[in-house]
Amino acid sequence: MCSSADAPQPRLFNAAGSDRCSVTHTHTHNMPPFDKTQLQNKPFKLRKNFVTRKQEAAGIRSKFSNKIPVIIERYEREKFLPPLDKTKFLVPHELTMTQFVTIIRNRMALLPTQAFYLLIDNSGLASMSLTMAQVYKDHQDEDGFLYMTYASQEMFGH
Amino acid sequence: MNSVSPSAAQYVGGVMQDELVESRRQQPPERQGSFGLRLPQTPDPSRETTGEPDEMDKLKAKLMSAWNNVKYGWTVKSKTSFNKISPVTVLGHSYLLNSEDEVDRFCLAFVSRIWLTYRREFPQLEGSTWTTDCGWGCMLRSGQMLLAQGLLVHLMPRDWAWPDAQQLTDVDFEVFRPRSPARAGGVPIPSFGSPRGSNAPEKPLPNDQPPRCSQRKRPESAREAEPIHHRLVTWFGDQPSAPFGIHQLVEIGKSSGKKAGDWYGPSIVAHILRKAVAKATAVHNLVVYVAQDCTVYKEDVVRLCDLSLSQTPPDPSSQAWRSVIILVPVRLGGEALNPSYIECVKNILKLDCCIGIIGGKPKHSLYFVGFQDEQLLYLDPHYCQPVVDVSQVNFPLESFHCSSPKKMPFNRMDPSCTIGFYAKNKKEFESLCSAVTEALSSSKEKYPIFTFVEGQGQDYGLEGHSSNKSGPAAHILPPGNQFRSNNRRNSDEFVFLSILNRWEYTLLLLSDLNHADEQDVDLQQVFALCY
Repeated sequence: MCSSADAPQPRLFNAAGSDRCSVTHTHTHNMPPFDKTQLQNKPFKLRKNFVTRKQEAAGIRSKFSNKIPVIIERYEREKFLPPLDKTKFLVPHELTMTQFVTIIRNRMALLPTQAFYLLIDNSGLASMSLTMAQVYKDHQDEDGFLYMTYASQEMFGH
Repeated sequence: MNSVSPSAAQYVGGVMQDELVESRRQQPPERQGSFGLRLPQTPDPSRETTGEPDEMDKLKAKLMSAWNNVKYGWTVKSKTSFNKISPVTVLGHSYLLNSEDEVDRFCLAFVSRIWLTYRREFPQLEGSTWTTDCGWGCMLRSGQMLLAQGLLVHLMPRDWAWPDAQQLTDVDFEVFRPRSPARAGGVPIPSFGSPRGSNAPEKPLPNDQPPRCSQRKRPESAREAEPIHHRLVTWFGDQPSAPFGIHQLVEIGKSSGKKAGDWYGPSIVAHILRKAVAKATAVHNLVVYVAQDCTVYKEDVVRLCDLSLSQTPPDPSSQAWRSVIILVPVRLGGEALNPSYIECVKNILKLDCCIGIIGGKPKHSLYFVGFQDEQLLYLDPHYCQPVVDVSQVNFPLESFHCSSPKKMPFNRMDPSCTIGFYAKNKKEFESLCSAVTEALSSSKEKYPIFTFVEGQGQDYGLEGHSSNKSGPAAHILPPGNQFRSNNRRNSDEFVFLSILNRWEYTLLLLSDLNHADEQDVDLQQVFALCY
């Protein structure tokens, strides 16, 4: 009686975006082969234990003191937005949320009118005028990363 | 015949719409078309003569309509309780329901909202076989209700109320609840009107008129705006020519990849409404602005509204400043509503400039207009009514108003929603910005749900970025920053760049690979997204 909420949305990818969806590539030049698909499906926090994550964040922070390590993952029930090819981002302190969101939107080739939200710790919205440093200061995880989830909006029909 | 619509009186005694339609079919034709629909309890001479088979038909119709409405999630028999301790807020007005007067005022405020529901048997939607939106169009209906509210404040006198508003049904007001426990037992209270005096016998209802709210003080001047009220409802008629009807909205939605029968989201609907208002010739001096990324760029709103700024010469008949509906699509949490936003949602609904929120329970769209305590007050589109031919002169308005308020707990609210505001003129827009900002700061969450920002979106690098195929967001950079991509590794996945400068605006992308975690990350090994 009603069409599925999973109905495909057009233009999530443009032509340039389609070749990015290459998570099934098992290896590329100068990289060790490994099963990436499986890793992509598990949240970062489940893929690595706390100690590993903490060491990693600390290592990156010491190497790039002017950058913030951010983990960006797709909301687990997201149906419309494409998966992002990477989950770890090193972001300059001064970058604003607006700029950051713009970059992520670009990577997904979204239209400006398409709903896209970055939720901090999978629950709260961040003001777009904040800098990454401010968000990091308020919301960094114990392991030293800043966690964000991206999601569009739910559809209604019943 | 299909112009017959169920009135709000349909809920009295739990009578469903089809039964009412059924009973009206048997009425002599000269009785139809009158505004006040007869209550179903009224003895009908024609029915008495037909006897048994009619009862069967009636039962059948009742069952069918009950099934239809259960199927679409309409809560058939539930009474909404209102206490007398906490105020009920309806779109910026609060009512403390501890007196009859206040209950009357609340009743008027609620019933005067325009209620748009699923309809059936309307002209086929172009490019499909659909003649109903039952089961899929609820978000569009919620969007229509939000727009209708915007148009009411745009066109109608301030504090306008529908002079023919019926009394509320399926409600339980604490203030009228009898003290005696014996009485409080299973005595049905069809409306707040009847049980006022505990010993008073139920007043017989007037024959042709459903009971109405606040009949005492209804000046004749209240009728002056009725032609506009009627016209406003025709714009939402279920026919292709109506500028905000389902046909038009579905048509506009096609450019966002939606079609009849699809499910819609609050953000898509916001953009559909924006386009519909821009297209409509019937509505003057009104624009819709839709915020992107939870940000309202004030300069962008000003450019939409201030006609002296626009390049085209201003239309002499139009005012210098167009009124604006501001729609802010948001997501207030991941899986569920983030509870720290509840206070903020309440404060928004308390604002005069708020025209409601389109959202719902998961998968089930509702139009939120207010709250009491921890419960949202809403209008529910999930009630399948037969189409009303709005091209008829004096078509009945009853099915476009709801006399049965419903509540649901905040914690069941789906996090996806669109919040609506209205500002008539520049002054109102300015006070809107400050009032909303203040309401937003009440969030227990560190950051507000959305923000007002000076300037235009393009100042922040938002314009046209989606069509940028040459690379990511280069325009965000301050002018003068050059960045060369010097080589492309054999990886199909990324453009491999190395850092040639020490510019602050650099975004590095770490590869999500094990070896990058273990080795020291050096610049040459980082897959960088930079510019």
